[in-house]
Amino acid sequence: MNDPHQTEVFERVVRPHFDRLYRLSWRLTGAKAEAEDLFQELLVKAFGMLDELVHIEEPGSWLSRVMYNLFVDQHRRFVRQRMHLVDEGHLPGAGLADLPGDFDPVADRERQEQFRRLDAALQQLSEEHRVVVLLHDTEGYKLEEIEAMTEIPVGTIKSRLHRARNRLRQILQEDGTIS
Amino acid sequence: MNNPRITEEQALLDLLKDYPVPEADAGFYDRALVRAVHQGSRRQRKRWMLAGFGSAVAAGLAIWMISAVLMTTPQLPDAEPAIPGVTIAMEQEHTVRLVFSSAEALDSATLTVSLPDGIELAGFPGQREITWETSLEEGRNLLPLTLIALTPAGGELLARLEHKDRNRTFRLRVDVS
Repeated sequence: MNDPHQTEVFERVVRPHFDRLYRLSWRLTGAKAEAEDLFQELLVKAFGMLDELVHIEEPGSWLSRVMYNLFVDQHRRFVRQRMHLVDEGHLPGAGLADLPGDFDPVADRERQEQFRRLDAALQQLSEEHRVVVLLHDTEGYKLEEIEAMTEIPVGTIKSRLHRARNRLRQILQEDGTIS
Repeated sequence: MNNPRITEEQALLDLLKDYPVPEADAGFYDRALVRAVHQGSRRQRKRWMLAGFGSAVAAGLAIWMISAVLMTTPQLPDAEPAIPGVTIAMEQEHTVRLVFSSAEALDSATLTVSLPDGIELAGFPGQREITWETSLEEGRNLLPLTLIALTPAGGELLARLEHKDRNRTFRLRVDVS
């Protein structure tokens, strides 16, 4: 039987971080079903560590680190092997139509095409470069936050970021996305 | 005059900054919480049971009996994740495409597709289950499946991928219009 008090405490601690964690999960995995799996794995693990979690000063950072470690431990292995419907929202550019907001159809189409190309360019990066550039430049994590999450020194992160941006710029220049 | 490199860098940063990510499905967070609590509680119970069993071996039958009681406690069912679905028309071919995201290249993986009654795979008339061996490349692998509905019942298609002692199953709800 679940302890309602325990459940309530758990929810109070983790729920404020859900949106950011879900986004992180997407950035790490790049696919909806895998993002949901990783998010779920994190919550199961976090619930098992609730006694520790309630005493942590910044649970958001802690949860991000645990999620990253889960990703490294499990999602680089066979666990990543998942099957999806193509139109489920995980191929390059897919899912963009579901985003909230009103857009100018023409401008939006152009922007979506740019995102599709960016997605394709990101796929050409190594995972370590892709993750760093997405965390820093897209999600706005600070270098120190990425260091705390990944346990990779800031110097290495900066170097990866620099290389990742250069490579992206090169690819996107060649296909005319940026000029 | 603008430095072209700086302009390109800024264009790239703007693009990355705006690069969207879909929001979670409605209700996903609530379902995830429920599952986490159920699964987490079950894991806790298992740990306690194991601890109870260890103590029972050391301390005798009384504690073992407590463990036995705990082991018979009914478990709460897991909340079912949403199953993706497609709707296909009667007696018309409809291709659904599945993507296998593999972290590594795999040789000799086995793929088994199990079809619901009244749904056939084009080229395999009358077969409810089709199995073949395949190799997967690292990254995304596309598998198109052309389905034909012979009755309006619909049902659930299962695609099971196995490699050595590991496996994954994908479920797809097929409705017929």
